[in-house]
Amino acid sequence: MLNPNTTLPRILTYQGIPVWRHAQIIQWAAQIASAILVVALVMWFFGNMAFAIDDREIPFGFSFLEREYQTPIGEHVLPYESSDSFLYALIVAATNTLVVAVAGVILATLLGIFIGVCRLSPNWIVSKLATAYIEFFRNVPLLVQLFFWFYIILELPTVREGYVLADLLYVNNAGISFPGPVSSGVTPAVVWLVLAVAAVFVGALAHHRLVRREDETGRPSYPLVIGCVTTVGIAAITWLVLSGIFGDAPFSVSTPAPQGRFGRIDGGVTIRAGMLVLLIGLVMYTASFIAEIVRAGIQSVGRGQTEAARALGLSPVNTLRQVTFPQALRVIIPPWISQCLNLTKNSSLGGVVGYTDLTNVAITMTQTAPAINIFLMLMATYLAMSLTWSLIGNLYNRHIRFTG
Amino acid sequence: MAADTTQNAAAQVLPPPRTEVGVIGWMHANLFSSRLNSALTVVSSALLLVILWYGLRWIFWSADWTVVERVGGLFLIGSYNTELACPGQNCFWRPQVSLLLVTALLGMIWGIMGGGVAKRIAILAAVVAALFAFLPYSLDDMGWDVRFLLLANLPSTALGWAVARYTPLGQPRWAVAWGVAVFLITLVLQRGLPNVPGLQPVSVVYWGGLTLNLILAVGGISLSLPIGIALALGRRSNLPVVKLLCVVFIEVFRGVPLITLLFMSQTLVPLAFPENFPQNSLFRAAVVITLFSSAYMAENIRGGLQALHPGQAEAARALGLPGWQTTLLISLPQAIRNVIPAIVGQFIALFKDTSLVYIIGMVDIVEIGRVFISRPEYLASAREMFVFLAVVFWVFCYGMSYVSRHIERNLGVGER
Repeated sequence: MLNPNTTLPRILTYQGIPVWRHAQIIQWAAQIASAILVVALVMWFFGNMAFAIDDREIPFGFSFLEREYQTPIGEHVLPYESSDSFLYALIVAATNTLVVAVAGVILATLLGIFIGVCRLSPNWIVSKLATAYIEFFRNVPLLVQLFFWFYIILELPTVREGYVLADLLYVNNAGISFPGPVSSGVTPAVVWLVLAVAAVFVGALAHHRLVRREDETGRPSYPLVIGCVTTVGIAAITWLVLSGIFGDAPFSVSTPAPQGRFGRIDGGVTIRAGMLVLLIGLVMYTASFIAEIVRAGIQSVGRGQTEAARALGLSPVNTLRQVTFPQALRVIIPPWISQCLNLTKNSSLGGVVGYTDLTNVAITMTQTAPAINIFLMLMATYLAMSLTWSLIGNLYNRHIRFTG
Repeated sequence: MAADTTQNAAAQVLPPPRTEVGVIGWMHANLFSSRLNSALTVVSSALLLVILWYGLRWIFWSADWTVVERVGGLFLIGSYNTELACPGQNCFWRPQVSLLLVTALLGMIWGIMGGGVAKRIAILAAVVAALFAFLPYSLDDMGWDVRFLLLANLPSTALGWAVARYTPLGQPRWAVAWGVAVFLITLVLQRGLPNVPGLQPVSVVYWGGLTLNLILAVGGISLSLPIGIALALGRRSNLPVVKLLCVVFIEVFRGVPLITLLFMSQTLVPLAFPENFPQNSLFRAAVVITLFSSAYMAENIRGGLQALHPGQAEAARALGLPGWQTTLLISLPQAIRNVIPAIVGQFIALFKDTSLVYIIGMVDIVEIGRVFISRPEYLASAREMFVFLAVVFWVFCYGMSYVSRHIERNLGVGER
């Protein structure tokens, strides 16, 4: 028996974990400390900045957005004049970036898939050529590539002496001109475009339904043919109706033609040199990364899948289209999205080849407007773009995960 | 009976058909296995011949490489040794001594790792450095001391190798220590020290050329990995505040183009510090590049951590390892090993991104080339210049991916 008067050894009286070793307390202390540290640092930065704004009379505020920008923007997709406001100029510049980003992503993806498939070709020369392409273009900075293409385009003949192909395609150091649609009026064009997009949706829906019917009943339902016919049919009918209502087709084909003494090219669609260089550079650079992603994706699909498909009698093309590629997509999509994001961000190099993208215009603006506010808006715009890409990627990822 | 056996034996040793072996067999299997394949072969070899014909003709016949020769040593150090940067002195020896230390480091790595990649890289670097001494570069006016210093790269590599081979310093940790020391000594040598004769301070605005790219890249690479690991662990931690901070940091730095960040580092960041706060443009650029890269690095490492089977960490905890040891000794090494290609890809991206510092007025190797071809006499040499710059960057980047593939093979990634 223990003598009640003697104190028990400490080890026998459990008194809980001491405060300094209690995991939850340590964690909360660490969190509070890091939060205080970060908040203090940010406060210090902002305090210094506020002091500098006051002390050195650095311009600050968003009132400049209403003012006239009064600076030309070299290339613009939206209509723009120097008397437009800063805000509208920023929107024009953001549209420029978006156009290059979307066109670049589409072209780079097509080229990347082509080169990635070539790299896996059983043909030795084709596969080595694709490897050489990939190893060269992804190991050279985009900046150097852009400069290279810039000077290549610059060394093309001038507009007057440029190359002409069958009076339709004009190539010179001002850009490329080719026949394209022009709208006779804004209303019919916009109405028809909206209806055409709707037609694509209806066609896609029909395709989806028919595929399901084919899967469930086994009866041939020709989803691709019927889907395409639906889309083209609706588009054609609305075209005719709109032509009847407005007395003029929504779009007509315009061919480029040299005008006047200096041979300036009018009509058609012109991709000007700056955008052309930026697109070539971005597409060639990004395609080398996408090609590697596609290759890794296709290689991640088990060999047994291909063998089984071939054993069931599918042709090589159908094996790739229906068996290998859909499975590879699951591996391909996440890194592909991050390449799209990279391409969008890399388009900020447009300024070095004379393309007025968002960054370029914003940096020019800092000479006549508060830099702090412009950079805040610039960061917010790019963050919005990158979050949009992430959203598209996540939605698509979920889609293929659920149906797969 | 006997005849039968011999016949069987003869049948067994019949040579394979001519179309299955040798050059013909190889061509049959790889170039003409089907009609489509044959057509591809014809088209692609035509393409290859056109590329080779025009490419080689341009390289050896029509291209005028004098501009590259003319720029010469400026590619390496920029305007570091000009009268403006280093008045009244010849400062060229300072980057050169750094180069000697680097080749010694490479020799040391060769001595530790033995043959293979390390040996090839060390010898290549030493030979290229020594060859600069014989090229008709614009180093002429700098005299023979410059050439001797360049030639000394051969003995310095040998010295590094011998030290690693025959002294107790031949251990990886000493190589790492020496590497850090070389980087710091380089910074001090380039910057100079006040009141030390022969080491007069050189403002960072005059640092340039490949040296600048390499300083930014080495600093960024060695710091972005630990920062990236910390961010990745923070993003996966179950502490909400830490996680939020890491997520915001990573997403902001990944969502904005680097040139926007570089611009901000020069226009806004100075405002965020008190006016008399010691800072310079190169340091700010290096910090921005490092942070930008570590946000990407964090995502790569997070990918590796996610791919790791949770059983690994659970087993470690079951064996009684505390949390930090589980992370440092069990999870991280395996996670990093799984994503070596992505990490090296990020290193390569970082090195390529150092070419963007021209945006904030620094004269890196690309900017030097651009300045030269904007002179009237070299206007027509733009192609030569950018092809040369592309080759320089390509050699470094391809070298990095080559080393990474070797490391992967040695670690047996994908084989376990």
